[in-house]
Amino acid sequence: MYLIPRQWAAALVLILWSAAAAAQTPCRAPSADCVIVGKWEISLSIGYGERSNPIAANSDIPLHLLPQISYYGKRFFLENLELGFTLHETDAHMFNVIAAPGYDRVFFVRNDLQNIFVSASTVSLNAPPTAVPSFELVREYPIGGRRTTYLVGPEWLFRAGRFVGQLDALREVTGEHDGYEVRAAIATPVVQSKSSLVVSAGLTWKSSALVQYYYGVDGLYEPGAALNPFIKLGFVHPLSERWSFSTSVHHERLADSITDSPIVAEDSVTTFFAGFVLKVL
Amino acid sequence: MALLSLGVAGLVHADSSAAQIELQVRPRVCTLRAHEDACQTTVRAEWRADRNESLCLIIVDRPDVKRCWENYSEGVYSIELTFSEDLIVELRDPQLEQVLASQAVSVIREALQLRRRRHQPWSIWP
Repeated sequence: MYLIPRQWAAALVLILWSAAAAAQTPCRAPSADCVIVGKWEISLSIGYGERSNPIAANSDIPLHLLPQISYYGKRFFLENLELGFTLHETDAHMFNVIAAPGYDRVFFVRNDLQNIFVSASTVSLNAPPTAVPSFELVREYPIGGRRTTYLVGPEWLFRAGRFVGQLDALREVTGEHDGYEVRAAIATPVVQSKSSLVVSAGLTWKSSALVQYYYGVDGLYEPGAALNPFIKLGFVHPLSERWSFSTSVHHERLADSITDSPIVAEDSVTTFFAGFVLKVL
Repeated sequence: MALLSLGVAGLVHADSSAAQIELQVRPRVCTLRAHEDACQTTVRAEWRADRNESLCLIIVDRPDVKRCWENYSEGVYSIELTFSEDLIVELRDPQLEQVLASQAVSVIREALQLRRRRHQPWSIWP
């Protein structure tokens, strides 16, 4: 089981808080950092991409058309499938309460909204119980579907110079497993001209209840908590007022408690996408 | 929908050769709400002179808009336009060198309320 020492976490929070205290530019005009309250923003990414699937016998997930929708009210906001309420906002900090879907379902259910794409393929990820070979005997472990879950909890976003950070502490509230998840990440631009290249790194901590729901096998495998680190590179080049080119690659390392599961065949998840983004609204 | 103010007042421009040319443009003002990016409306320009003139109507920075008259003392031109900045409508001589009269359609934006975008370094989205 992975634990983050409390002293380390407290020290990290203090350092980031101090750094973020440096004055940030207030919102004076619409920009990449500032949105107009009450305005819908809709864009559509058209291109080619794929998310690898660590679940044995489940195929990788194609990504072709990706809509992005956002709306910001004075305090309420909607970002794709996440929604939230801002409790406090300054130029450097934002404190929200958010509701976000459970991420791991994307590996089990092809038509999960988090896998939104249009493809000629109609292959289902949660096809009937799948046979997974073990070392000596061919044994069958049912890989059924997982229900849509939502996690709710506080979120802290901060800006410190060129860095943007995020820390979410979430609990599942849809009555499926009552598990917890902590999402933490930091990002900074490494190239910022007309084009931008942003590198992000972070981790996801999943409680044993959450890992059990997705990767456990009844009576055979009861996993502990998991700590998955990830790194992401994203590049955007504007082509016109409405079009831009975007490409990104995201690599997540899966914890042993996940990879040890008999239904898991890979120890990481890689997502890449390259395409054009059309700003619809 | 953008709010349009028709107004009635016209601007009179007198050129140095003593010809009096009056140009009236409607609407005079287009007010954009917070969620609107641009005005989309029919702009109607009407001019009248105290003698026959040869002139052209243009819109500054819109080379696609041009209408000319030869030996007329009045004229009307309407066009459907989409614009997000002030429109400057001008009457010029046929060589487009001298401005004989001009009018503006002003774009006024409602005060925008802004807030920070929620950047998400933790994101499964590409």
